[in-house]
Amino acid sequence: MSAVTFRGVHFGYPDGPDALLGIDLDVPAGDVVLVVGDSGSGKSTLLRATNGLVPHSSGGRFSGTVTTFGRDTRTHAPRELADVVGFVAQDPEAQFVVDRVEHDVAFALENLGLTDVVMRRRVEEALDALGIAHLRGRAPSSLSGGERQRAAIAGALAAAPQALVLDEPTSQLDPQGADDVLAAVGRLNADLGTTVLLAEHRLERAAPLAHHAVRMDGGRVTATGLPGPVLADYPGAPTVTVLGRLLGWDPPPLTVREARARAHAVGAPGLPDAPVPAAPAAPGDRLVSAVGITVVLGGRPALREVSLDVRAGEVVALLGRNGAGKTTLLRALGGLLRPERGRVDAAVAVGTVPQNPNALLFSSTVRAEVRETLRLTGRDDPAAVDHWIDALGLRAHADRHPRSLSGGERQRVAIAAVAVGGAPVLLLDEPTRGMDAASRRALHDAVVEHAAGGGAVVLATHDVELAARCATRAVVLGDGDVVAQGDAREVLAGSLFAPQVLRVMPPFLTVAEVATALAAEGRS
Amino acid sequence: MARSQQPEERPRPASTAAELTTAAPAADATIGTQRPWHAMTWLVWAIAATASLQIAPSPVYVALVIAIATLVVSVYGLDSPYARAYPVLVGAALVFAALRVALTALTTHGGPQVLFTLPSATVPDWLGGFTVGSTIEAPIVAQAAYEGFVIVGVVSVFAAFNAVVSHHELVQALPCAFHELGLVVAVGIAFVPTTITAIHDVREADRARTGGRPVRRGRLVRQIVPVLENGLERAITLAESMDSRGFARGGATRAEHAAAWCGAAGLLALGGAFVALVAGGSDVALALTIGGSAAVVVAMVVASRGSDRVRYRPRRLTRADIGVMVGVSLAPVALAVLSATGDDTLVWVASPLRWPTLSVLPVVALAALCVPLVRRPPALGRSAVPAAARATTPEVMV
Repeated sequence: MSAVTFRGVHFGYPDGPDALLGIDLDVPAGDVVLVVGDSGSGKSTLLRATNGLVPHSSGGRFSGTVTTFGRDTRTHAPRELADVVGFVAQDPEAQFVVDRVEHDVAFALENLGLTDVVMRRRVEEALDALGIAHLRGRAPSSLSGGERQRAAIAGALAAAPQALVLDEPTSQLDPQGADDVLAAVGRLNADLGTTVLLAEHRLERAAPLAHHAVRMDGGRVTATGLPGPVLADYPGAPTVTVLGRLLGWDPPPLTVREARARAHAVGAPGLPDAPVPAAPAAPGDRLVSAVGITVVLGGRPALREVSLDVRAGEVVALLGRNGAGKTTLLRALGGLLRPERGRVDAAVAVGTVPQNPNALLFSSTVRAEVRETLRLTGRDDPAAVDHWIDALGLRAHADRHPRSLSGGERQRVAIAAVAVGGAPVLLLDEPTRGMDAASRRALHDAVVEHAAGGGAVVLATHDVELAARCATRAVVLGDGDVVAQGDAREVLAGSLFAPQVLRVMPPFLTVAEVATALAAEGRS
Repeated sequence: MARSQQPEERPRPASTAAELTTAAPAADATIGTQRPWHAMTWLVWAIAATASLQIAPSPVYVALVIAIATLVVSVYGLDSPYARAYPVLVGAALVFAALRVALTALTTHGGPQVLFTLPSATVPDWLGGFTVGSTIEAPIVAQAAYEGFVIVGVVSVFAAFNAVVSHHELVQALPCAFHELGLVVAVGIAFVPTTITAIHDVREADRARTGGRPVRRGRLVRQIVPVLENGLERAITLAESMDSRGFARGGATRAEHAAAWCGAAGLLALGGAFVALVAGGSDVALALTIGGSAAVVVAMVVASRGSDRVRYRPRRLTRADIGVMVGVSLAPVALAVLSATGDDTLVWVASPLRWPTLSVLPVVALAALCVPLVRRPPALGRSAVPAAARATTPEVMV
């Protein structure tokens, strides 16, 4: 039996291009269904159509039928589907109605008109199911990202819906938070039989959870079926899948566990024991350095006597949990925050891209936004505008309104708008949030190119795969202290959240290294 | 400002996974959970404080009330983003008061004690014909400052109330008929602190963009547009979240329709009463007032009865809450008694210019506003933060 059925669904946003083009899809009841696809492929629209937000809230042109647990969404508004579908949108922060977790969880129950006894039981169950009972009295704004996302899911779950619809639930989270959320989702599905419809970009953790995968491309469903085959040739597949593809493992593995088993059984014929050593780069000039800086925020030390040199040609990855001080260090390096003690010496201009790209965007087109920085800095370099628009893969969006883009695309616009100012040092705060595979690759190339051209880049990131691919040096922060610092390979090798390739075939760090080694072996 | 918990101050990551699992819940338990006093208690406190300001507007007493309000925020405004809005609102009130002083001093003239004389211009008669500039007199400046200071006091009480009250508790305490309306208002108020955070983010992003080089031209547009657009996007997300969770599900019941008609008729009658009063028909006005008020009351009763809304764990007033309510109410009552018995220190007059005097009894009466501070639950004990350690700019870390 199907939880949700789509039959010939076409949809276009008001004044926008068509977002869904003839969707025919059955979401089987009781399964975890993973929806993958690039930014702008229609994933969010598809998810929003399951409970009638599309078209009731969005407006626009809608044809075809979506039937959710036997109710037609054309005649049932989202509020009339609230008892069967729990919906959690991308930005958890904006979804809380009440300033206490427990009461926010009860919000849907009050609206459904349940009795006091039933409400109390449901709230306890929802809090326990997500493991947030100890947070019940907190304000959602005071929670960490992972806690907040789990609280939002509890709010959707309390009404005991038959299906949960989650739009990129882990895109804002650190690895620990992402694990917590996905483990909770898996448990709900296993214990309660709740159907889960999940859209994700970072598949390393989500793919092993799914029973089915749906791939979308340009508003169409291009593949459905078991996650393995669907993801086998998907560019955004987990790193181990890409590795398996390279080594000719068929079918490619989805999890580190599967890949490790395959590595033991089949191995990688023709692969040398160690990667081709890269020529050690000569240390460049010191561009910006922090000397023993201590920053106190809200009465607590956010950084304790941290020192960091950033030299020309370097890509430094700042790793560490939420709240470890990564953002604070970036702000101090960027001169946006005056340290209590210590000093920051900047030999050159330093541009900072904030974590939230929305804080920056105000122009009516992407091109105007990028050009604005040139106007502000008084540079006259029109070629730079095109250079950065191309470098970050924004050519197709150059004349669109920045606010009409997806989160990952906005992030790239913000990066282009800061980078075009010509600052040799770029500080990027969590740049891969919500980015699809193509965007991440574009970002990676742009970062490597900028560093190779004599600049330097500092990335604060949770994305260890990104750090493994482009960082020359890694710095791990914990509670405002530098916990580990040094060559990216050495630092990442010792980490609990090591990149997937390193966990399958040490000492290789990335798929690219494996490919290079194979090619070198083939030549010799 | 005095705020001991900023959103990013969640339990800091421990160095090992084992530590993390044991340390986190213990730390959570101590962070402001249940607000110590009921929303209605805080409402009574705010009304009592405002009434005290009206009865005893002398600057020394206003300063005392502001100090009490600030203390209340620093003790109870724990994890609330509204506590961050407190200094902003008080600062805005100070700016407003200063502007008012300047405008009054420049446009009001006459009297003794001229401080200095400015070049003056008289605006044409068709614009009012007053003189701008000219002599600036001390009593006029003092009087304007005095009046402005009372406004600062009222704003600080209002801001403190918002920092410590749970708006949701307040909504729950409303009659059922107003539940949805109250919720919408509470959600609207919640945009104030988030907008303040957004303004901070946007200003920083504007500086970060040029690599620290300040650019003033066009700054307003660059900063206001993102704040407005973020607010709009947030509002849409919130509306969709509320819709997805069944808000306003089921539409209006028959009782609610009846109540709506009854309420409309009542309001119409009250409006008619006002017209009748202006026109001089006092008997008609009286009849309409009685009828209109009765209709409004009936509408409220019908709507509340007809609503099948059950609230989740509404907080009940405890005896201690009642005690606090009675305690704080003593402040305006005692001040009113003092005022009636002819205590002339309560009100200050700028002419002739003299220092405001402080007498003991009104101070004792105002001390009653501290009653909510006297009994503090132990879980909320850790709130004192050294002033030097506080950050002036809140950090946002998602």
